[in-house]
Amino acid sequence: MTIMNRRTFLGAAGLSAAAAALGEGAWRPARADKPVNFSGWVFKPDTVKDYVDFFNKNHGGQVKYDAIPWATYHPTMETRALAGEVVDVMYCNSSNRERWFDNGLIRALDDLPGMDELKKKIAPANLDSLKSKDGSKIVALPYFTSLFILMYNEPMLQQAGIKAPAKSWDELVEHCTKLKRDKVSDTPYLPNWNNSGSGTMPQFLSDCFSEGASVFDAKNRVIADQEPGAARAMERWQKVYRDGLVNPEVLTKTSSTDTHRLFWTGRYAYHTNHSYYLKTIAGEPENSKLAPKKAKMAMYPGNGTTHMFTDFYVVNAKTKVLEDAWKFAKFLGGNLNGDWHVQRQWCLISGLDNPYPEMYDHPEIIQSYERWVDLKLLREQYKKGRTITAFKEPWYAEYDSKAIAVVHNIIRGTSTVPKGLKDLAALQRSVA
Amino acid sequence: MVRPSLSERAVAWWFVAPALLGITLVVVFPLAYSLWLSFTDVNLLRTTGPALELAGMRIPLFRWIGGKNYVQALTDPLYWDSLWRTLYFVAAFVAEATLVGLGMALVLNERFPGRPLMRSLLLIPWSLSRIVVGLLWIGILDFEFGALNGLLHRAGLVDGSIAFFKEGWSALNVLVAVYMWNQAPFVTLLFLAGMQSISDDLYAAAEVDGAGYWRRLWYVTLPALRPIVFLVLVLATVNGFLMLDLIYVLTMGGPGYDTTTISWHGFKTSFTFFKFGPGTAILYTLTGLCLLLTVVYHRLILRRFEPEG
Repeated sequence: MTIMNRRTFLGAAGLSAAAAALGEGAWRPARADKPVNFSGWVFKPDTVKDYVDFFNKNHGGQVKYDAIPWATYHPTMETRALAGEVVDVMYCNSSNRERWFDNGLIRALDDLPGMDELKKKIAPANLDSLKSKDGSKIVALPYFTSLFILMYNEPMLQQAGIKAPAKSWDELVEHCTKLKRDKVSDTPYLPNWNNSGSGTMPQFLSDCFSEGASVFDAKNRVIADQEPGAARAMERWQKVYRDGLVNPEVLTKTSSTDTHRLFWTGRYAYHTNHSYYLKTIAGEPENSKLAPKKAKMAMYPGNGTTHMFTDFYVVNAKTKVLEDAWKFAKFLGGNLNGDWHVQRQWCLISGLDNPYPEMYDHPEIIQSYERWVDLKLLREQYKKGRTITAFKEPWYAEYDSKAIAVVHNIIRGTSTVPKGLKDLAALQRSVA
Repeated sequence: MVRPSLSERAVAWWFVAPALLGITLVVVFPLAYSLWLSFTDVNLLRTTGPALELAGMRIPLFRWIGGKNYVQALTDPLYWDSLWRTLYFVAAFVAEATLVGLGMALVLNERFPGRPLMRSLLLIPWSLSRIVVGLLWIGILDFEFGALNGLLHRAGLVDGSIAFFKEGWSALNVLVAVYMWNQAPFVTLLFLAGMQSISDDLYAAAEVDGAGYWRRLWYVTLPALRPIVFLVLVLATVNGFLMLDLIYVLTMGGPGYDTTTISWHGFKTSFTFFKFGPGTAILYTLTGLCLLLTVVYHRLILRRFEPEG
C-alpha cells in the first residue's frame, strides 16, 4: 500500500481544485461576475422559477430567485436592506412602493434603455400608477393589473327566472331578495368584504366609484363623507347585511382568495372580486361547480366604474449589476424580446392582467381567456377602471388597514353611515 | 515552570462563559436592542444616524425620541380597547387551559386500559403548527362548509348554519376555545409530571386517615402541585398575551376590531404600518404586564409554599 504524506496530499488536492476551476471555466460559457438577486412574495413560485430558468437559459442570465411569504414580504425586504443586502429586482405592492422610493431603496427607471418605448405601450391610467408621487419619474414596471368586477351564477339566475344579470345596484339587491325569499340561496350575494388589504377597501372604492363618488380629493384627502354616492353605497351594504343577503362571516375571511373560493360552491348568485379570480371560478372544473363558464362577468352596476390597481417590479437603487438587473426587470415587467414572455405567462396561467393593451390581440391570449371570460367585456370594463393616487402617500398603508374596521362597523350597523364616513375622513387626517 | 492555579471560582466562570456568551448574544442583546428601539424613531430604510460598531457590524441606533412612542401608544383608544380584550382573552384562556389540563391530567394519572395510547394521542393538538390548528378549526366551524354546522344540521338541531365568526364576542370566544384546545395538552403534561412526583406515602397516609378521592385531591394533590400551578399560570399567561397566529388565520383581528388584541395591534403597527418604534413600545407594555402578573402569581401561590427537604 502506498502511503501518501501530508505534502503529497496537499499538492494533489491543490491540483484537483485547480483542474476543477479551470474545467468549469473551459466548459461553461462566460458569465457575469455577479448574479442578479430577485425576490418576490409567494404566488405560484414554481411558475416564477420556470421563467427565471427560461431567462437564465435563453437570455444568458444569472438570476437567483427566492420567494418570501406574503405576510412578511415587505418587512423582510426592509430588514434585508437594513442588513446591507442588495436584492437587485423585487416585487412591491402599491402601499409600500412610494416609501421605498422616498427612502432610496429603489431607483427611477426613466434613464434606462427601452423605458421610453415601454411607456408608449402602457395604458395611460396604469402609467400614472407607475410614476412617483410628483409624477416626474417612472419608478416601477407592472407585475400585474387588476380591477374589481361583478360575477354572476348564470344557472342560479335562470333557475329563479331572472333573465339577465343586474345592471343597477337596486336591481342586484332586488334579485338577491327574491333568491332568498324563494329559498334558491340562503345568502345570494358574496361581496369581497374580507379583512385583508385586497378585500374591503378595494370593494369600498369600487362601489363608491360606481355610484359616481370620489373617495379622495386632488390632494388625496378623504372626502367620502361629503359624497352622496358613498353614502348610498354604504346604506346598500348595511341593507344587504341586515337582510341576511350576504355570508355573515365574510368580514372575518382573511383573504380575497379564501373569499372567492366560496363562490366555487355555486351557492351564491353574485360575487364582486378581482377579475383574475373568475379564472378559477369559471375555468377550473376540478375546483369550481361554476366551471366551465357557468359563472360569468357582467359590467359593474351603477355607472360601471370600478377600482383598478397595479402591483410592481422595482429595481434596487444600490444594485451593482444595473445592466443585468434592468434586462431582467424588462423581461419580467416589459417586453424583452418582443414575446411578452412573463406577462403572457401570467395571463395564461392565472388570468393576471397587465397594462399592455396590445397583448390582448394575441391569438393565444384570446383563446385562453375564451375559456373563462368574455374578453371583450373585460376589456370594456378595463376602460372604466379608475386608479387612485392616494396609495403614493406615506400614510396610505396605515389608513387603508385601519379603515377596514371603520367600514365593517358601518356594514354591521354599529356605526351609522354619516358617522362612519366622517370617521373615515377623521382617520385619514389622524394618520396623515 | 509552574502554572499559577486558577481558583475554583475562576474555573467555574470559564465553564459557564460560553453559555453566558450565547445567552447574551441571542437573548440579552436582542432584548436590550428592542427596548432601545422602543425609545427611538425607527426607519429601517434610513440608517445614517448613530450606530453601534460590533465585530465589523454596524447596528443602527436610530434617533432617540424618549417616551414619545409610549405616549403615542397609550393615548390611542385602540390600545385600550385592545388591552381590555386581551385581558379577557388571557383570563378566559388561562382559566380554561388550567382547568381542562388539570382534569385531563387527573384522568391520565389513573390506571386504565389504553392509558399509554391516550397519553400519546393527547399530544397531537399541541404538536400541530398553529396555522394548521387554525385551518383545521375553520374546517370545523365555518358557516358555509364547517363540519360542525353540517353535523348539527343533519341532527336537526339547527335550521341553517351557525355563524361563529359573525359577532365579535362569539369570534373572540372561539379564539379562546381553539387556543385552549391547542395548549391544554401541554398543561396536562406539566400537571401529570407534577402528580407523578408526589410520594405515594402521602396518599397512603391520607387513606389511613380515612380520606376519600376528593379529600386526597384537595389536601394532598393540589397543595403538592403548587409549583406546577405557578408554572402553568405563568406560561399560559405569557402564551395568552403573545398569541398572534390564530388571529392571523381565523379573524385578522375582525370583524371591526372585535378580536384585535395587543399582540395583533403591535404586530400590525410594526409590520403593516412600518412603525417599528411605536410597535415595539406597544409590545413592551405586554412584557411589563407579563412581569407584573408573574409577581402576582408568585405571591398568591408560592409565598407560603415550602418545598420538601
